[in-house]
Amino acid sequence: MRTSFSFFDRIRIPDYDSPKQMQAGELLFDQEKCRQCGICVQICPGGCLLTETTTKMDIISGKAKGGKYGVPHVAKTRKGATMCIACYDCGAACPHGAITIKQNFNPGYHYKRLTQTSDMKYPLRY
Amino acid sequence: MNMKLEELSPLYEYQEGMPWNPVEKVIMERRSIRGFKKEPLPDTMIERILEAGRFAPSAGNAQPWRFIVVKSPEILAAMEKDAVRVIKFFMFLLDYTRTGFLLRLIKKPLAKFYIRILGNELHPVPFELMSQIALGKTKVFHDAPTLILMVEDSRGVSCPPMDIGICGENIVLSAHSLGAGSCWIGLIKVLMYLPWWRKRFGIRKPYRLEVCIALGWQKPKADGAVPREAQVIEWFDRGLNDAPRYTKQGVKS
Ligand SMILES: Cc1cc2nc3c(=O)[nH]c(=O)nc-3n(C[C@H](O)[C@H](O)[C@H](O)COP(=O)(O)O)c2cc1C
Ligand code: SF4
Ligand code: SF4
Repeated sequence: MRTSFSFFDRIRIPDYDSPKQMQAGELLFDQEKCRQCGICVQICPGGCLLTETTTKMDIISGKAKGGKYGVPHVAKTRKGATMCIACYDCGAACPHGAITIKQNFNPGYHYKRLTQTSDMKYPLRY
Repeated sequence: MNMKLEELSPLYEYQEGMPWNPVEKVIMERRSIRGFKKEPLPDTMIERILEAGRFAPSAGNAQPWRFIVVKSPEILAAMEKDAVRVIKFFMFLLDYTRTGFLLRLIKKPLAKFYIRILGNELHPVPFELMSQIALGKTKVFHDAPTLILMVEDSRGVSCPPMDIGICGENIVLSAHSLGAGSCWIGLIKVLMYLPWWRKRFGIRKPYRLEVCIALGWQKPKADGAVPREAQVIEWFDRGLNDAPRYTKQGVKS
């Protein structure tokens, strides 16, 4: 029940910006529910959420002044990977329940997760 | 004389499927907070929160910690500035993910060499975080009005970093139970490359500083439950030579 971790995995460091070698977080933003308040953009640890008009730094520096910021999306590097670690801090902070996780973060090769499945589950009251 | 707190644990008796009790609720709903009001928590509240740290378990009751509270806005600003500087320097050398083809050819092998040596510090998550910080897209200390530096006395019993983690988590949970917000910040490590910060905080043998905790009033309020990866649990609950039984967390079996 543990994912295999071969010698090849152990010695190979993945390319951090390659979506083929790294599974990064992916989110879904509900266009109907989102009120474009920018809270999620502001609190993402890595600043990996953007809207068409604003970034995290625009909001914390006060450059972006209130109003509607647009529906956010996850930023991608040139090679197409996101930097989202699927912490879901954005989802916990969203006042309108507009964010869901589509895919979790699981780096490849040397860093791959071995006993953590990719199933995201809420706390369960056993 | 024994001092008695009014309510002694256990708070509740376990019954299958029972609602979360207040301790569990704080554990499940605590999130790392990265947006704060400008005004810090009152000093008495900070001292109250640090009491939770003082009473954390530690190997051999060695209590291998030293707390430093940083509240001065000037010092906090200088720490942010210097941390960004160090990070920019490292990323200038190593960040192959944001360069053109030619620089990538040079930086990628160098980065992978250092990743092999500093496998935890240059794990993809802090690496990408530092890449974003170097590009000015996010911050190191998240403009927190207070930092608690969790200084470790390396002469503790067994594994002092573990004691620091346990002590810090007591502090964090206590803070959230009182309506405050907190975030662990491991990136403070980069300041230890600068001798003037080591000197200011007295970080020389036997002390080490590898982590701090940002504290303040949440703005926006960002605590709440989240879904997390379900792990596989192995149960050795049969015979001596039997294989373990597996269950998956977060699903009723
Ligand atoms: C030892 C340690 C160091 C951390 N360092 C940082 C950091 O430098 N910057 C940051 O934004 N978050 C940091 N975090 C917070 C984690 O990113 C966070 O706990 C994780 O994403 C899970 O999210 P949650 O705390 O909201 O559940 C750190 C956490 C721990 C335990
Ligand atoms: S899940 Fe975490 S890392 Fe991903 S966008 Fe949300 S806050 Fe940022
Ligand atoms: S916090 Fe929620 S409502 Fe606000 S911008 Fe983000 S997704 Fe939209």
